[in-house]
This record gives sequence, C-alpha cells and structure tokens, in this order.
Amino acid sequence: MNPRRIAAVARKEWKETVRDRLFLLMAFLLPALWMVVFGYGLVLDVEHVPFAVLDRDQSSLSRDYLYRFIESRYFDYRGSVSDEREIDQLLGDTAIRMAIVVPERFEERLLAGRSVTVQTLLDGTFPLHADTTKGYVIAVNNSFTQELLTDFLARTRGLGSDEARRLAEPVSLETRYLYNQEVRSTWSMVPALIMFALMVASPLLTALGVVREKETGSIYNIYSSTASKAEYLVGKLAPYVTISTINVAALWMIAVWLFRVPFKGNIAVFIAASMLFVLCSTGIGLVISLLVRTQMAALIITIIIAMVPTILFSGLLVPVPSLSPGAQVQAHLFPMMYYTDVVRGSFLKGLGLKAMWTDLLALAGFAVVLQLVAYGLFTKRPKA
Amino acid sequence: MNDRDDIEAGTLRVWALRLFVMTRKELLQLKRDVPLLLFLIYSFSLSVYISGAGISMQLNNASLLVHDGDHSASSRELIHRFRPPYFRFDGEVEDQKVGVQRLDQGTAMLLLDIPPRFHESIVGREPVSVQLQVDTTNAPQGLSAAAYAARIVGEFSFDLASFRLGGASGGLMDMPRVESAHRVWYNQNQDETWFQSISHILRMITLFAFLLPAAALVREKEHGTVEQLLVSPVTPFQIMLSKVLAMTLVILAATALAMASVLKPVFGVPIKGSAPLFFLMTALYSFTTAGLGLFAATVARNQAQVGMMALLGISPMLLLSGIATPFEAMPPWVQTLMALSPLRYFVDVTYGILLKGVGFDVLWDSMLAMALLGGTMFGLGMWRFRRQLE
Repeated sequence: MNPRRIAAVARKEWKETVRDRLFLLMAFLLPALWMVVFGYGLVLDVEHVPFAVLDRDQSSLSRDYLYRFIESRYFDYRGSVSDEREIDQLLGDTAIRMAIVVPERFEERLLAGRSVTVQTLLDGTFPLHADTTKGYVIAVNNSFTQELLTDFLARTRGLGSDEARRLAEPVSLETRYLYNQEVRSTWSMVPALIMFALMVASPLLTALGVVREKETGSIYNIYSSTASKAEYLVGKLAPYVTISTINVAALWMIAVWLFRVPFKGNIAVFIAASMLFVLCSTGIGLVISLLVRTQMAALIITIIIAMVPTILFSGLLVPVPSLSPGAQVQAHLFPMMYYTDVVRGSFLKGLGLKAMWTDLLALAGFAVVLQLVAYGLFTKRPKA
Repeated sequence: MNDRDDIEAGTLRVWALRLFVMTRKELLQLKRDVPLLLFLIYSFSLSVYISGAGISMQLNNASLLVHDGDHSASSRELIHRFRPPYFRFDGEVEDQKVGVQRLDQGTAMLLLDIPPRFHESIVGREPVSVQLQVDTTNAPQGLSAAAYAARIVGEFSFDLASFRLGGASGGLMDMPRVESAHRVWYNQNQDETWFQSISHILRMITLFAFLLPAAALVREKEHGTVEQLLVSPVTPFQIMLSKVLAMTLVILAATALAMASVLKPVFGVPIKGSAPLFFLMTALYSFTTAGLGLFAATVARNQAQVGMMALLGISPMLLLSGIATPFEAMPPWVQTLMALSPLRYFVDVTYGILLKGVGFDVLWDSMLAMALLGGTMFGLGMWRFRRQLE
C-alpha cells in the first residue's frame, strides 16, 4: 500500500463529491434534518386516540365516568352518537379508533353495589394501538371502580374515607421508570436516530461512488493504473468515512444540545463504536456496489437494504427481544442492532466498555468482514 | 368529415403505439437488470414474510425478574399472575443490585420487588405496596409493560378486597365495579402478522414506485439517451408516461405476487373488500408516488442526487404516514405536513379495503386526495422536464 496513491484516489473522489453541490449539501444536511424532523415528529406514544361515546344511561354518574376519558390526554373526544350503526360508520371511515358504550341503568346498578359492564369497540387494524388503548380503558375503569368502592364502603359501613380506601386497595404498585424517568419517547428515539441517519445516507454515498465509475467506464482508468485493489478501495472510502465522521459529531451535538438528551456514558467508547459503525455502513455500500452493474440497481438495493432492516430490525421502533426468533436472527446479521445498543447504552444508561464490549466486538467483526468481502469481490480483471 | 375522423383515429393509434413501444422498452430494460429483478422478487415475497412473521410491536415476552423478599403464599400468588405471552418469568434475584445490573445490560426489562412481611401485611390488613422498576429506554414498550403490571396488581388487590369484605359479611358481597368488555373489530384476534405484512407491502410499493421511474429517467439524462429520444417522434409526455406505466405494471404484478404467495396462504389475511378496487387503488398510488419520483428526477442531474432526494422524500413518508407509528398522536405540524404524503391516504385505503371491507363510498376523499397529489406532481414534473429539454 502506497500512501501517495491512496491520497491520489481519495483526492479525486473528494473533488468529485465536492463539485456536485446538491449531493454535497444533501450529504451533510440530510442526517441533521432527519434528526430534527424525526426527533420532534416521530412520536411512538399512543395518545389522542379519537373516540366517540354512546351513553345509554344519560345519568350524572355516567357523565362523570365519560368525563374521565374526555379529560385524558390519551383520548381525543370526537362527539357522542345515539346509535350503534353510527359507530360502525365512524370506525369504518377511520374517523374514530374507539367507541365507548355505557349501558342502561349504569348509575342505578353501581350505586346499588352491583357490577356493570362497559363495552368498548376498538379498531383493530393496528394491533399495538388497540392493545395499548385497551390498557388505558382498563386503567380508567379500575381507578373509577376503586373510588366507587371507597365511597360505597364509606356509605354502607360508616367508615372514614381513609379507612375505606385502605380496605378498597390492600395492595398497590409503585412503578419506577429507569433511564428515562419521564418516559419520553423523544429520549428513546433520538439516540437511535443517530444510527438511522448514519445508516441510511453513507451506504448510498459509497455505493454510487463506485458504480458510477463502473457505469461510465472511468473505472478502466483504475484497472490500468498502478493503484492496487486495496489502495483503490481505501482511497475510495476515505472521503465518505470523513463525511460520516463529521456527521457523527454533528448528530451528537444535536442530540445533546437541541434535544437535551443526557449523555451519561463514556465518550471514547461512543466514538470508537461510531467509527466502527461508519466503516460497516460504508462497507455495506461498497459490497453492494461490487455486486451490481447499474447505478439504478445500486440505488434501489442500497436504499432498501439500508432502510428496511434499519427501521424494522435495529431496535429503532421495535425492541429486538420481542421479535420472533427468525427475525432476531436477521437482526443479528446486520450491524445496526449492535450500534443501537451502544448508542442507547451510552446516552441513557451511562454504560461503559465493560457492559458493551460484546457489541463493540461485533461491530469490529462486521467492519472487518465487510471490507474483506469487498476486497475479495473487487477485481481489476473483469470478465466482460 | 369521415376523413378527418380517420386521420384522428390514425394519429391516436400511432400515439398509443409509440407509448406502447416506449413502455415495452422500459420493461425490457428492467428485465435485463438481473440483480435488480431478483431483489424486486425478494422484496415482495420472502421479505414480506420475514417482517410479517417476525415483528411484533405488542408487548410480548417481556423479561421479568423478581426480588421476592417474602417467599410466602401471597407473594407466590402475585408472581404467578405475571404470565406469558406478555411476561416471561426470568427467575429470582437474591439481591436488588443484581437485578438492576441485569436491567443495565438489557437482559431483563422489569424488576418486581416484593417487600418482606408482604403476606403478614395482607393478613394483618395493612396496606402494602410492591415496587416495579421498568426499563424505559424504549418508551412505548416500557409504558405498556407498566400498564399490564398495574392491571395485574390492581386485579390482585381487588380480588383480595372482595374476598376480605365478602368474608367479613359472611358470604360473597355485592360491590360496585365497572368491568371492561372489549370488542376488537376488523382483526378480532389482534393478529399482528396482518398489520405487519400489509405495512411491509406498503413500504415496498412506496420505495419501488418512487425509485424505479425516477432512476430510469435520470439514467437517460445522465447517459444522454434523452437526446436520442428527443429527435425521435415521441413527445416528452410519452417519455414520462411510459416510464410510469411500465413501473406501475411491475408494481401491480409484484403486489399480486405478495398477496398470492404470502398474505393469503401464509398469514390468512382476509380480503374483505373488493380486490379489483384494491389493485386499482394500488395503480393510482403508484402513479402518484411515481409523480413525486419523476419530479425529483427533473431536479436531479445524476443518480446519486436522485438517491439523496429519494431519501429526503421517502424517509418521512415511511416513518410518519401512520404505518410505523400512531398517526393521531403525531404533533399537529407533522399531521399537516403529511397531507402531502400520498402514503398517508393509501394507508387508510389499503386497510379500509383489505381489513374493513369498505368501498368507494367511504374512501372517496382519500382517493381524490391521491389523484390530486399525483396529477399535480406529474404536471409539475412534466413542466420542468419540457423546459429542460427545450
């Protein structure tokens, strides 16, 4: 390996990149823009569930009960209906996601100390939301029951309200939320978005850089030049690794200064992992670029490979342990999952090398293997 | 009069023939790109299966550790209520610290701490509380786990109260209680494979519908073959339309492949509405998205630029249109912005037709929005393309 030849290839690549203004702008702007847009915009919490009510009782207690839903930030009241068929229509049109049906004699039965069944109709197209919404409804029902019971005991047994409450709720649960005390999805999202922004842009930059030369034929200059395979590949990667490294720094600053996500971990570990990850993501682009012939194929395959596993199998939206075994295998086959672990661990959990060395090792493994595969695939003596 | 009709019919035939030839050229070109074609087939078959079968956003198998400071009948009874599929009991820890360490490493999600004298307090009618620590690095899952835990402990507590009160009055006593009954529509068993596999197809359609025509157009610009087309008798309109037509055909075929090979036979997704309507809508959506792609292609000068613009346009579409996250919970500015995303309408249309079985009467507004968006984008792209050629 001759450093002068590497520098020459890198300089040529760099010039080509810098002269394409739009491309250069996008390379730096896109990751930062995504971070801001998705950091503020991508909300995972199920809130503002639009709902309608059908109150068959029309009593003061039923209004009191429904008011708890109307007041809650988890629900978004869209009016009341007088007929179940209207509910059908609203659900079909996705105007509402849920409807609550309060039965007749709601107040009468509850005051008499009997149980009442309230029916909720849920739109099940998005099962996670249906399930979460169910949980909210049950929570409202339980707390309402608790209060009714306390009242009821105080009324029928002549107990003080404190004593009645103790009787009504013998065991309670105290929940502590670790790492993200206010349970803000921004905090869990933003660190993972660093991974997303890096993963989606850099493979594309690299892949097109190589295939462009193949398609226009300028790669024959390389074939006939004195630059060796390794020198060409290293020189080719250098500018994209540089761009991605600058992006890592920018993204870190956005996360810490703009979103105020605490960085509790070890900065050296974070930097090391980021560098390895940049090598992985550019490596993926390099491998794809050597497998296809046209820029169009490189473009589409890179975008899809970069996008789909990154959204689905990296832990960005769905935690890896709750994937099925088959999908978990796929998650482990890509470097994204390990980097997500490191980023979240460094930001939110404050973990150091001791807890995350396996992730780092995996990233290093991917980086090495991908570069070796690229080296193996690249040939200066093409068949055609 | 008759002659003029004949001439008009003749021109129309020639016009259609030219469009047909151009469309065929696009299809041939795609057919010869073997890696791309293989990837297309993979994306609409195996890949749909993997995402459909593999992804579950609902809480399942949340790993639960218990620090049981009491080891009594009551504590065992409570632990026993944390059951699969939501929770997976991952054993007891002797020391709180060990539990927190496991949470740190991410090998466990919840730590339930039952205090000593738990049983005694219950028997002695003293209120007692148990502690739960939840890993909320993934906020929605953490919240969901906490909600389930609260439900379980709440029921435990209620059962205890009713047993105790009933015991005191010598027999089961009536107590006021609001019970919850749920009816989940359109997907009674909350089978997540339906949702995930359909979402995945939407994702793939979006990506291919945007990228295929855009890349095809820029390639011609980059190679200079556009110049050749210009001196030929085809109009710029035909050049653009033929690309959209060819790619829409490809996407329709791929969607049919996904439906016939994975959705129906493997996951048993019911197609409640009209299948022809669904394919018609898919065609409309492909056209709309292709319009976006072509517009991007007229702005870009080479394929690298188109790639970056595709990323710029597609990522927000994929992440914010409601197939990954609850649309209603998005901040208002995102909801406003997403009025420009055709996927936002196509999501409603697809789930509406496939799962809810609704038809044109309910979905017309979404269709209209898609058609308008598509027409506008196509028109804008057309205008730019013409200007560039002149």
